[in-house]
Amino acid sequence: MRRIFLLGLPLVLGACEGRHNWLASGGAEAIRVEQLFWVLVVGAAVIWTLVIGAAVYAHRRQVDPSLEKQARQFIIWGGAVIPTVVVCALLVWGLVILRDITTKEGDLTVRVDGERWWWRVIYESPEGDVVTANEIRLPVDNTALFKLTADDVIHSFWVPALGGKMDMIPGRETELTLTPVETGSWGGLCAEFCGGAHALMRFDAIVMEEAAFNDWLAHEASPAEVAQDDAGLGVFLDEGCGACHTIRGTEAVGPVGPDLTHLASRERLGAGIYDMTPDNMAAWITDTHEMKPDIDMPPYPNLDGARLDQLVAFLMSLD
Amino acid sequence: MRYESDKQPGPYGPPGDAPRLIGQGSIWIMAAAPTIWAVHFVASYVLAAVWCAKIGASLVTPAWIIAAMGLVCAALIVWLGVIAVRRYGGVFVIFEEITESSERGRDRFIGHVSLLLCILSVVAIGFTVIPGLILGSC
Ligand code: HEC
Ligand SMILES: [Cu+2]
Repeated sequence: MRRIFLLGLPLVLGACEGRHNWLASGGAEAIRVEQLFWVLVVGAAVIWTLVIGAAVYAHRRQVDPSLEKQARQFIIWGGAVIPTVVVCALLVWGLVILRDITTKEGDLTVRVDGERWWWRVIYESPEGDVVTANEIRLPVDNTALFKLTADDVIHSFWVPALGGKMDMIPGRETELTLTPVETGSWGGLCAEFCGGAHALMRFDAIVMEEAAFNDWLAHEASPAEVAQDDAGLGVFLDEGCGACHTIRGTEAVGPVGPDLTHLASRERLGAGIYDMTPDNMAAWITDTHEMKPDIDMPPYPNLDGARLDQLVAFLMSLD
Repeated sequence: MRYESDKQPGPYGPPGDAPRLIGQGSIWIMAAAPTIWAVHFVASYVLAAVWCAKIGASLVTPAWIIAAMGLVCAALIVWLGVIAVRRYGGVFVIFEEITESSERGRDRFIGHVSLLLCILSVVAIGFTVIPGLILGSC
């Protein structure tokens, strides 16, 4: 018994810390859900103790037929009336939370499109849409309204530390708000099985001070700073990467894959799964399907030597 | 096996009368309340789905329609509950087991079950109505 407990403990504690911890109180919406969770856990523990206690008590006691009437009253109230009231109250509470985290107005609007197996991210700004991918940055203490949709299969958008989770459905727009309350970097993921690389469909949610966020967004809106005769850009265009990827400020305007205009400013590569390093970048291009199985990007195993170095150096300069 | 009491006329009229659908030992009353719940549930679902697809993103009007339908259905079920008590002699709590094999025993059992199902169905209709009233959007 003891051993089982000790073995189980790391599992339980492991879930309580880190980037995907939904009890981290990272966002106003998550805090609402957390409160409900704790009331449920404590309430369930109390009820369990009372029921088991009553059962033990009843088992130990002599049968006393004169108490039959009270006993029945006890069962009707404790077994039917109170549970009905409790379940109703929890239903209402849960629904109110759901309403509050899905239909609030936002200080900013972010459209996220679930693709297999990455995230197309579009910030709506007065100067026009700012397109990026695979990383979401948010200003602290602001409510971001997410408008979610999906390309071809159902995905689900979830940053456990910040708030609720919402399905992304092709042909429909679902909404969710997140109001981060502290700066930091949290993990986000796809929470609806969507095919081969589903488990590798992740992203970082980085919460920044508002001023820093505004600088970041302005930078993200600007085109890439590249010389048109950059050798790496030449390789990129020669190899046909531009048919799928966009790098604003160059000839590459492909809409199929993630926007790479400010690729190197992201903390991670491949939808939140690898550190953004030159080695990982090279491996991503030559051994694509070892890095992330099943994805819709073809591998380029024949790229090597100077050309690969130039391409990687070019991509890593896109900050 | 046949019991003497089976041949006794029930207390609600002599055998041979055209049986009422609900009353006189008919078991339909047990199915009635859950059926009303189910019909309300399906109607609510269809209404909300059609409304959201064709008319608009606000669920406020259909939510009130669903609530009004819920009220009508609940009233119907209350009426059934009254019948379960009056015609069948159903009670909320049975103090002795109903073991006697007679029209009267069966009626009391059916009345008891029907009454409980009525209560359950009203609660269930409440659970259908509440989300619409709180959420208010598609
Ligand atoms: C057939 C379309 C296609 C072509 C051609 C293509 N890619 Fe991709 N690329 C994708 C898709 C789709 C993804 C997203 C994969 C995923 O994460 O599921 C991707 C992802 C990437 C990423 C990771 C982006 C991020 O946000 O982390 C990089 C870097 C990249 N491609 C570089 C290249 C380079 C360099 C080339 C040319 C050598 C290339 N791609 C050619 C479709 C393509
Ligand atoms: Cu997915």
